[in-house]
Amino acid sequence: MTAVDLGLRLHLALAAAGVLVALAAAPERRARWAGSLAATAAAAGLVTGLAAMAGTEGRLTLSTALPLAPLTLAPDRLGGLFMAIAGGVGLLAALFGIGYAHGPSSSATSWAAFVAFLPSVQLVPAAADVVSFLLVWEAMAITSTVLLLADHEHRPQVLSATRWYAVMTHLGFLALLAGFAVLVAESGGTTLDELARAVESHRQQGGRYHGALALLTIGFAAKAGLVPLHVWLPRAHPEAPSHVSAVMSGAMAGTGIYGLVLIAVRLMPEPPQWWALALVALGIASALYGILQASVATDVKRLLGYSTTENSGLMAIALGLAVLLRADGETGPADVALVACLMLAVSHAAFKTTLFLGAGSVVHATGERDLDRLGGLLPRMPWTATAFALGGLGAAALPVTAGFVSEWVLLQAIIHGARGEGRVVAVVMPLALAAVALTAGLALLTMVKAVGVAFLARGRSEAVATAREAPAPMVTAMLAGAGVLVLLGVAAGPLAVAVAGTVDARGILATSTAGLHLAAVDAGLEPVRLTGGVLVLTALVAGPAILLERRRPRRRTTLPWGCGGVRTSPRMEYTATSYAEPLVRVFGDALRPTRDVAVTRTDRAWFVVREVRFHQQLEDVVEQALYRPLQAVLNRTAELARGVQNGSIHRYLTYSLAALIAVLAAVSR
Amino acid sequence: MIAWLSAVAAVTVQLVVMVAAAPLVVGLARQSRAWVEGRAGAGVLQPWRDLRKLLLKEPVQAEGTRLQVAAPVVLLATSLMVCAQVPLVGTVSLPGLPGDLFVVVSVLLVGTVALAVLGLDSGTAFGGMGSSRHMTIAALVEPTVLVAVFAVSIPAGSSALSQIMNERLAAPSTIASPASLMAVVALGIAVLAETGRLPVDNPATHLELTMVHEAMVLESSGRDLAWVELGSWLRLAALVGLVGNLLVPWGQATTASPGALLVGILTLLAKLALSAVVLGAAEVFLAKVRLFRVPELLAGSFALAFLAVTTSYLVT
Amino acid sequence: MPATTYAQLVGTAAGVLLLSAVLVVWRRSLIAAVRLLALQGVALAVLVAVMALHAGEGALLLVAVLVLVLKAVVLPGAVRRAMQLAAGEREEAPLLNPTAALLACVALAGLAYVVSAPLVEIGDDPALRVVPVGVSLVLIGLLTIASRRRAMSQLIGFVMMDNGIATVALLTAGGVPLVVELGVSLDVLLVVLILAVLTTRMRSVFGDTDLDELRELREE
Repeated sequence: MTAVDLGLRLHLALAAAGVLVALAAAPERRARWAGSLAATAAAAGLVTGLAAMAGTEGRLTLSTALPLAPLTLAPDRLGGLFMAIAGGVGLLAALFGIGYAHGPSSSATSWAAFVAFLPSVQLVPAAADVVSFLLVWEAMAITSTVLLLADHEHRPQVLSATRWYAVMTHLGFLALLAGFAVLVAESGGTTLDELARAVESHRQQGGRYHGALALLTIGFAAKAGLVPLHVWLPRAHPEAPSHVSAVMSGAMAGTGIYGLVLIAVRLMPEPPQWWALALVALGIASALYGILQASVATDVKRLLGYSTTENSGLMAIALGLAVLLRADGETGPADVALVACLMLAVSHAAFKTTLFLGAGSVVHATGERDLDRLGGLLPRMPWTATAFALGGLGAAALPVTAGFVSEWVLLQAIIHGARGEGRVVAVVMPLALAAVALTAGLALLTMVKAVGVAFLARGRSEAVATAREAPAPMVTAMLAGAGVLVLLGVAAGPLAVAVAGTVDARGILATSTAGLHLAAVDAGLEPVRLTGGVLVLTALVAGPAILLERRRPRRRTTLPWGCGGVRTSPRMEYTATSYAEPLVRVFGDALRPTRDVAVTRTDRAWFVVREVRFHQQLEDVVEQALYRPLQAVLNRTAELARGVQNGSIHRYLTYSLAALIAVLAAVSR
Repeated sequence: MIAWLSAVAAVTVQLVVMVAAAPLVVGLARQSRAWVEGRAGAGVLQPWRDLRKLLLKEPVQAEGTRLQVAAPVVLLATSLMVCAQVPLVGTVSLPGLPGDLFVVVSVLLVGTVALAVLGLDSGTAFGGMGSSRHMTIAALVEPTVLVAVFAVSIPAGSSALSQIMNERLAAPSTIASPASLMAVVALGIAVLAETGRLPVDNPATHLELTMVHEAMVLESSGRDLAWVELGSWLRLAALVGLVGNLLVPWGQATTASPGALLVGILTLLAKLALSAVVLGAAEVFLAKVRLFRVPELLAGSFALAFLAVTTSYLVT
Repeated sequence: MPATTYAQLVGTAAGVLLLSAVLVVWRRSLIAAVRLLALQGVALAVLVAVMALHAGEGALLLVAVLVLVLKAVVLPGAVRRAMQLAAGEREEAPLLNPTAALLACVALAGLAYVVSAPLVEIGDDPALRVVPVGVSLVLIGLLTIASRRRAMSQLIGFVMMDNGIATVALLTAGGVPLVVELGVSLDVLLVVLILAVLTTRMRSVFGDTDLDELRELREE
């Protein structure tokens, strides 16, 4: 029995125990017990994933009473990577949940759903056949829907968010089901290996293969939150409890990316060029649209939700470029791009988990998600602020975090990929580079805004004044996430090598100082030495600064100078809305804000203004342009269909009779 | 070990030269502007006098601000790191730490963020305003910078700065190619935007509503302000020096020998002085564009950078 | 002429052609646009002259001189004259703002590079590699015509398109027959003159040269 064999069984057993405990335990002990069991199960999954990543084989076969092949869980190396990602995210989220879950999100149902949600996210990449893949996928959808509904009694927008989420998830599921059905019909088997073999031999037979490819891509893109299938994301993430949002964003969106990588490397290797170009286009649209919406969002969790779309977009760009480059014969840069995609997935999981947990901690302390009403939290919640700021550095791809390293690898793939003869590649590369660069720039602004407005300056509302640092489990989870983020950024080489092993990418090496050497494109990065250099230089500056601090202590005043020493009230500070105002203007055509300025004048004279009210609303443009018309059509159709039922029992019986006659007629033929 | 020591020595020399020269670059730019405008000017050494004055002053810090001490130090440290990584005096880089252009840009961005955070931390309307504008410009500059870096890195086949410089020294014809010229012009515009010079930001402005850089540092005083100013000047000098070296790579030390370093220092000072005079004199004839016309300027420089990439495919 | 120098000169001329087109889109001032047009003419003439010297064809050199006279002097001169009649205008409110227009230029240049692959591959002359520049000029010229309001701007776009067509023709056919090239250029000159007259008329009728005003001429 290998480690993976054992791990899979242990993981499932612990999760099952966790569900039972969540349902049975007394309310005051529920969080601690169920949370601990969930964390342990996630840790077991993490270890199993790491073992599978290292190449250990193992399987768990479940026979069913259904006339199907037995369900098989057998993670390969790629699956192991995503299992490990989900395990890590789950571990931190469960730990955080122990301290965080309160009110409706700590009910027996919620905890049971959460404990069941974690293994479903982790086992999607472990599934070795189509049936178990789809079963686990659906389990993931259902449990997360239940979790989302936790607080539906208090906040009406939860219901609408859940509706969007459920519909989009299930449309995605249908697409996957159809796509896999085509492949299964072609191959006659249900395991992923059989499917891959059938695809290999049927490659030339066009139509169905391309159809299945398109359907699967739609299904996975919806889960990853790519534009235009992202609409559920900015609604669901803010409404879910924060530790659930962390798993949904860090790990569940990752399963969508896992699906896309699965297509490209295992299920249908060497996909056609249209697929790669479509993926790059989807990626560019998602990255730019996602980060643009994030940069103007004021709800911190909505901001993070859109940032998930952005990061999924970056991963899609990397994957699409990898496929394009491989088709062009540029295997070196292609491998680098593929590794970039996976590293982005790892780093995104790390920083997004940290950020969502940090946001959760802020919500826990203040009850506010609106950045415009936050501020000045740094002295009150120093640990949350530290973790959130580190997460922000990661999301902005700044050194020394995993986000920086993975983006650097992507940039290297792009600039070395454009040397081939392919003209399409030659044009796509600079466009992709420009999109990645603009995304990175806007991500920087977004994160400065989120961190700066929430934690610096002075509080903008009463809620902030009473904020307290979160309890120990929450702080531990946040700091652990931030620590992993920095650690992976410093140990760039080992991370890249481990990730490269899962997709057999060649020419990715680690140096003796944990640096990264891309032999395939001859480029190197040394985060340890870079950090060392910066630290030495910081010491050089800090030394004199401290010396001067001793000699001439600073004077504290109560007033910021503010060009005239006015005692500015917090309401005069820049808010998140005002921070993003220049961007709203620059990208006005893409964001289409609705603005409303109402000027109230005094009675005495029309030119004396008493009050100016400014209201700005930013809606999701894609949703407005694409989904509203669709919804209208659906509503009209539904109106028509209503006529079919009027509540009369006789009519329903008549329907049954008609159905019976139809079946008999069909059978007798 | 000898190689390691000499490389460290070369980088140290470069750092010392840059710290000494950066205030002079700013002083010379201001002075040449004064000459063109027919004023006497404050003298080339004025920035150094300002620094000394600021360091001796007692800083005043407003209640509720937290990062007025740390952010300037971070800014200065990143500026120094940029100076250590960019080939200025010579193409000798620290062993195992090649001056990769993407890394340099990221380190610069850390400084940008430190400054923006400083502005937000002050909690005044002006600080937030400056910070918001600063980040907007930084975000929009990013595509130009990276695509121009891409264009510049194509002939060398690497984004490592020392390799790019060596390639340019070895094949001077690539410098005058249209692709390279367009890329350097695009990079130049990006540098002007990133370092807050005209026509994007007016470094000499006294009108708060048009400020970008100055608005963020309104709350800084004493040595905090000294670090911020020195850090910003170092950024300007390093980037101007980089653009100068891309255009005229000759004179850079390719080995760490004292003679080569001396030649490198002298040519660098000459290039910096010339750039400073040109910058100062040119600013007389430029007006600051409206903030909402800045995207137009940046889109133009982006188009240049992009065309640099495509034309580099045309001529090989 | 050594092959590398030849390639470099061709590349430089092509770079100037492309750059001048982008600058026309960037600048609002029409006077500057006319100057850039003249620069474009010079670059085109240089391109032809370089090809002539490389191939050692005297006839092509003659074409170069003609191109120089027509495209660097006569056409911009005519446009400028038309503009003087219209009294120094600026393109105030183009239908596409300059930022978007510049990004569109970038996209068009990329598109031109991809679609002109078959033209590039007809031979191994380094000059053929710059065919995409000619195609870009045509596309950018068309973009200018479509996105600007002033009649003068459209004239400029039109001349740019003609420059692009001439570039592609010269590069691929190794010099169009002299007569054809002359004929085309004279046609363009004619168009410029007609438009110049039209502009003056428009100005005297509407007091403006915004082409949107022409809608009023439509019968209801």
